[in-house]
Amino acid sequence: MAEIQFSGVEKDILQELMNIGFGQAAADLAQVIDLSIELSVPDIQLFKACDLQEHIGTEVESDREFSLVEQYFLGKFKGIALLVFPAKAGKQLVSLFGLQGQATSPSERLELLEKEAMIEVGNILIGACVGKITELLNDVVIYSPPRVMIQNVRNSTLPKNLFEPSSMAISMKTVFHFEQQEISGQLFLIANQESITWLKSALHAFMEQYE
Amino acid sequence: MIFSQISDMINMGLVVLDEDLKVHFWNRWMALHSGIDSEKIVGQNLFDFFPNLNEPKFMRNCRSVFAFGNFAFFSQKLHHYLFPFQPAYSDKARFDYMQQSCTMGPIRDDDKNIRYIFLSVNDVTEVVNYEEQLIEMNRKDALTGVFNRRFFAQKLQEEFIRGRRHNRPLSLIMIDIDHFKQVNDNYGHQVGDEALKAFSARVLERIRKTDVMARYGGEEFACLLPETSGESALILAKDLCRIVAEENWVCRDVSLQMTISIGIAEGRPEMLDSEALLKKADDALYEAKAGRNRAILYD
Repeated sequence: MAEIQFSGVEKDILQELMNIGFGQAAADLAQVIDLSIELSVPDIQLFKACDLQEHIGTEVESDREFSLVEQYFLGKFKGIALLVFPAKAGKQLVSLFGLQGQATSPSERLELLEKEAMIEVGNILIGACVGKITELLNDVVIYSPPRVMIQNVRNSTLPKNLFEPSSMAISMKTVFHFEQQEISGQLFLIANQESITWLKSALHAFMEQYE
Repeated sequence: MIFSQISDMINMGLVVLDEDLKVHFWNRWMALHSGIDSEKIVGQNLFDFFPNLNEPKFMRNCRSVFAFGNFAFFSQKLHHYLFPFQPAYSDKARFDYMQQSCTMGPIRDDDKNIRYIFLSVNDVTEVVNYEEQLIEMNRKDALTGVFNRRFFAQKLQEEFIRGRRHNRPLSLIMIDIDHFKQVNDNYGHQVGDEALKAFSARVLERIRKTDVMARYGGEEFACLLPETSGESALILAKDLCRIVAEENWVCRDVSLQMTISIGIAEGRPEMLDSEALLKKADDALYEAKAGRNRAILYD
């Protein structure tokens, strides 16, 4: 299979488009969740689907445990969003969202609340980022319910139904930071090879508006 | 025509809300389960009918779906339900309200602007009911209804760590019914089983709700006593010995006398793990059994 190439120009357009999208996402997130959040300039990389662990491993401290929120997005742009929180973030998010009041009994319940807080934040954060990008590219996606896992990120693999192991994938990474509480994490949007082909033409269409 | 029929036939609730959270559409399923007709609620604010939804999380997710076009998922695990409806089958006493799994998503106009949000409501009461039954079966001893050994081991470890972290006392008692084999041999296993059930019920009456009682083996039981010193556990144990010995047990018309032996251990800083605590209680039980009908605190 011929490897799909992304030209320097295409990468620049995508970078620019993501800057716009994430800028809007951060602004709207402040409205939606009443919290200011910073999203770093996205980093775009192409890699082979089977090399996911290597790809993430170079971005994230690989021997620690993290809380991972994972969610599929399905449209012309399709793939998986991976949100990587430090393991202790769950507790902070529970208090950040004022969810403690819902805890009725101690330990089990708190664990559940932490998971739910991560799922809710993850769902909104992923929705904001994916939503804004696809909106700019004139696509509409649907989402699977998010899942949360606590594990070493090295154990992550891409689902085979979307990612043929030898095919290419594109990863867009941003670092997010909630300003009120020192919570930071990374968001990877990983789209499959089919999406890359679509993305290239959608990017050109996006540019034509300005030409 | 087809879609409006489907939305009224489908076995799930469908609600459409506008930007002011006024009800734009209310399918027949919602009308049937809520007792509120579509004519009555359409055009009205949802919160006028369901004030329980007027809370930050629900609002946050509505805003999110309008802003980003994402989906929001209200899992049964945390929310139990969004709409307080009666369960469809009242023979399941486990739940006061129908358990629901709900999804919220965007509805766009021709220009792809989000004008409405939908809410789909699935009745998952039956599934959750089975799930909870399975969880319970997995934790409990089928005969006596007290916890099983596996769940006990898990609780022991949790409580041991908690006690250590907060520097709180924790005691463990191991109970063995004396010469129980003779009950089975003399009167049969059915009588023996009844005796185990009656015994468990009596111990449960005496201990606190926060204590964890489990069947550890055939006629061996364990109780985990959080926030309890060894001395207090010894008082309880002696009391249990007395209660059991004084009782005239009648099982399947057979009158029985029973006594128990109890080994007690208290968590100590030098213990490496919960296994060490268990070992001490077991050692104390071994010593108690040498005399029968008595409680020994390991020291």
